[in-house]
Amino acid sequence: MKIYDFTFAPNPRRVRMFLAEKGIKVPYEQVDIMAGKNRTPEFLKKNPMGGLPVLELDDGAFLSESVAICRYFEGTHPEPVLMGADTRDRAFVEMWNRRMELDIFGPIARAFQNTTELFKGRMQQFPDYGKAQRETAIQRLGWLDGELKSRKFIAGERLTIADITAFVGIELGRTMGGLVIPPEMKNVHRWLEEMSARPSAKA
Amino acid sequence: MKIYEYTQAPNPRRVRVFLAEKGITVPLQQVNIATGENRKPEFLKINPMGGLPVLELDDGTRIAESVAICRYFEALQPNPPLMGTDDKDKAVVEMWNRRMEFEILSMTASAFRNTSDFFKGRIPQVKEYGEICRGAAVKRLEWLDTELANRKFIAGDRYTIADITALIGIDFGRTTGIKIAPEQKNLARWHQEVSSRPSAKA
Repeated sequence: MKIYDFTFAPNPRRVRMFLAEKGIKVPYEQVDIMAGKNRTPEFLKKNPMGGLPVLELDDGAFLSESVAICRYFEGTHPEPVLMGADTRDRAFVEMWNRRMELDIFGPIARAFQNTTELFKGRMQQFPDYGKAQRETAIQRLGWLDGELKSRKFIAGERLTIADITAFVGIELGRTMGGLVIPPEMKNVHRWLEEMSARPSAKA
Repeated sequence: MKIYEYTQAPNPRRVRVFLAEKGITVPLQQVNIATGENRKPEFLKINPMGGLPVLELDDGTRIAESVAICRYFEALQPNPPLMGTDDKDKAVVEMWNRRMEFEILSMTASAFRNTSDFFKGRIPQVKEYGEICRGAAVKRLEWLDTELANRKFIAGDRYTIADITALIGIDFGRTTGIKIAPEQKNLARWHQEVSSRPSAKA
């Protein structure tokens, strides 16, 4: 078993952090996105979408999509529970994970892709669209700040995959995407500090 | 228990088809997106994101996000399995469902959102971006056709939620002229098959 990974990209980080919280160690093999190694015919056989990370199982099967990889490990190593404990809780965590992914991570990633110097000439960028996406992300963070007033973590009193998704997305924005979280969003800052202090944040 | 939904929108259709495949009936309550009912303060209390569908449980819990709703019913009534059978299969189905969602449904939906008159003045539209999404969807259909050369359904030999997401993503492409090309025989065969299931009309 191994994971094709690229240390600097946000989605591989989601899976590394998830595995660190579970205490699972899997060997990693780097695939350099900046050098286009994820677009070679050889890699596209592993994941035709070209995305990272990809989990290679011992039977030779390839699994891509971060959340699908996390779900695999949630099934093989249920403790600590990161994707919900019962029927209702699993649906609830999934709702929050998707909100974090689609409504926070998504706009931050699109803001980054459409405005960063890193992607200039590599893809068609729409800077105005990127800026609008950054504004959307900040609005949504304002909403999240209100949600975090009444609970410790995104989906309740326990850390879940939804916290990992939100944290990795926000970190991408803060370190590379020009995202500045207004100081008055105190609950988001409190939560971010707590997340940053977890050993898994360094995975 | 009830589901807030809007018959004409693609995401509510995902849940309706899923429930029809399971043979589950849940009362539906319409929320009119066209008149902006889903953006009114009253509805934003039900789902702050304004999206449909939303499942309301008898204890008052509200679950938004189509796939989260489907996952709830998958656990409540495991047969027929639509989200995988064991650890590996569940992950494989999730991978395929996400591919269908991000590479096809999101693309046909973004093409529509950014180019249609329906959303004019409702959201900031970037026409050029909509065209890029449209082009991406067309390319993904070419790829999906080659994948379906070797198997009956999107994630293997069994019908799953990934087929539902793909069906709805492709059908929604009609709004911007994205269609299965005549030479895409595998995709056409699959589309014919999933469209002829009674659930497709749900």
